Amino acid sequence: MSDVNGNILYDSVKGIKKEGEFVGSIITRCNDDKDSIIFSDNLKISNSEGIFISNGFKVGFELIYNKMSAFSRKIDELNIKDTSSIEYSILIPEDVMQVYDEGQFSDAFPYTLNKLNTAALYLDEYPYGINHLDFFKEEMLRNPVALVGNGILLADRVVIDVRDDPVFYDCLIVGRDENSNLSVSYEPITTVKKSLTNVKWIIILGIEELKL
Amino acid sequence: MDNNFRHRRVKIIKINLSNMILYENKRKKLISVLKWGNNPFKKFVCTGEIREELGLVKSRKDLIRKIEKIVEEDKNFILPIIGDVGGGKTHLYWALKNSLYRYNTFYISLEYIYKKFFYNIYSEFIENLELAPLKFIINRLCDEWGALERKFGFFHVADLEKIKNFAFKLLSNKYNDMETETLTNIISGIVAHQLDPYKKIEAERWLLGELMDAKELSSLNISHDLRKGKNAFMMLMLLIENSKSGTILFIDDFEKIISITEPKDDSAEEIYDPSWLYGADKSPDDIASEKVFDKIVQLQQIEGLRIIITLKSIDSLEEIKKKYQEQNAELLFSIKDPLFLLDFNEEDIFEFYKESMRYFYENMGISDFINAFQNPYFPLNKRILRNIFENTKGNPREIIKALIKIFNEIIYSDEKLDAVLENYENIC
Repeated sequence: MSDVNGNILYDSVKGIKKEGEFVGSIITRCNDDKDSIIFSDNLKISNSEGIFISNGFKVGFELIYNKMSAFSRKIDELNIKDTSSIEYSILIPEDVMQVYDEGQFSDAFPYTLNKLNTAALYLDEYPYGINHLDFFKEEMLRNPVALVGNGILLADRVVIDVRDDPVFYDCLIVGRDENSNLSVSYEPITTVKKSLTNVKWIIILGIEELKL
Repeated sequence: MDNNFRHRRVKIIKINLSNMILYENKRKKLISVLKWGNNPFKKFVCTGEIREELGLVKSRKDLIRKIEKIVEEDKNFILPIIGDVGGGKTHLYWALKNSLYRYNTFYISLEYIYKKFFYNIYSEFIENLELAPLKFIINRLCDEWGALERKFGFFHVADLEKIKNFAFKLLSNKYNDMETETLTNIISGIVAHQLDPYKKIEAERWLLGELMDAKELSSLNISHDLRKGKNAFMMLMLLIENSKSGTILFIDDFEKIISITEPKDDSAEEIYDPSWLYGADKSPDDIASEKVFDKIVQLQQIEGLRIIITLKSIDSLEEIKKKYQEQNAELLFSIKDPLFLLDFNEEDIFEFYKESMRYFYENMGISDFINAFQNPYFPLNKRILRNIFENTKGNPREIIKALIKIFNEIIYSDEKLDAVLENYENIC
């Protein structure tokens, strides 16, 4: 667990709003139906203009023809005047990012699968539920993002074990503690038991879409 | 009471007897161990391939300290070590390697390596460096070339072409006299190894200097393996300059450069006259020596490469300096004052003998013999060792040869030990 008090840029629950321009690794969680997430390397907050993000990457679900689909899209510029549509924005501490970076170039997993386009691996929502865990059983997929309980989990790779439970490697976890304070942690391995945990969704980010 | 007293007496006698027998047995046991054909002194020639476990004798430790000081103070130099034939120059390499364990110290002998010079040096370098540090350096290089750039603040999406182009720009600016093809090959090999999981295995083989066919090379977008052109030299340069630990190249038999350039004795009859093929001015040996010299000069361009050379005489060093003066005078300053590897003094032979025997006992699994004998030089004695020293004038190789001879006689002779040794005690 890292001390992130200074890194919380905006928190609608705790009423935190830091004015200024911020650069680094920033996660913004939206207050929409599908808990969309925006990843960006910059963020500007001002009382008059609200929150401004340029060159961000939004991930979430959308309903298309009565079917839920995972999406990820590049946002050139996003100006959020009504900040109530954002739950929080947090700048991940650089020391945590460095540990996260170090886990990226592991020689132990040379044959990890890269998905070309972003796709849903799992969605727990009636009646649009999606579950491809069995199909990818014992495979290793790159770039998963998940919403587990109340937290965002971004990992370098995920393995679906023999019980269809996802095991995330090299993970950044952003969530709230029992006092609703935001926290950031790094975990080398996180096993998520679907039967015990409230896994809302898992999305595998497409490598081609990240390259855009 | 009587019974008790008798019992105690018998016990004391038994203990004394067993001690006596053990003491007697150790002398006999050692002779038996030797008689099985185990000679504690086997090798009188040290090589760069087989590790030497024995350290240096006391009188030479100062030399190691001097070398360590030079290595720590300076990053680019040529340090000549001058010593007689059989004086322990190659053994010094092993002592240095053990002592400077933080550095990547590797060995070549000009006696054997003069063709595919850079490729052979690279092979030796990689063998000593080992895979994990190699991967660490490659990883760092790729980081510098932009592999760790975080897209959207988080994602490492390596755009291989972008990284290669950036790397090419960096390297072509730094090494502007290097051929484009060489740089492209090196960059492709490194980037594929680090960032392309599907080509990693092939790229690793290429990095380790394996010979590869055209099909394998084309899958990596590389035109040649490391044997070709300056590929190996460029890789050496990149790895050494980006290595966190310093690098020491120990070149044995350096006067090979001189000996092949020395004027030939005209009176000697030659059946084959090389001038028929190479013209009157230059013999094939001249050409070979010039090539090796040029390559050593190129090696000196590598930042952080410390070179230690061994020579048999100060005259050879003067010859080498003359060669530098003629062809590359500005590099003369990089040649340090020579250090001299002197022969053993009398104390050294005793220390060397004791250390060799200790090593022998440990290897044979009889470490309890180390301090078992009243005469610490058993089965020899101080007088014999002194005789050996005087006869060999302290030359380490000659000393070892003499010891091998004596031990062979102990092993194979039917005479008693005292009779065998008597001959050597009286030789002076």
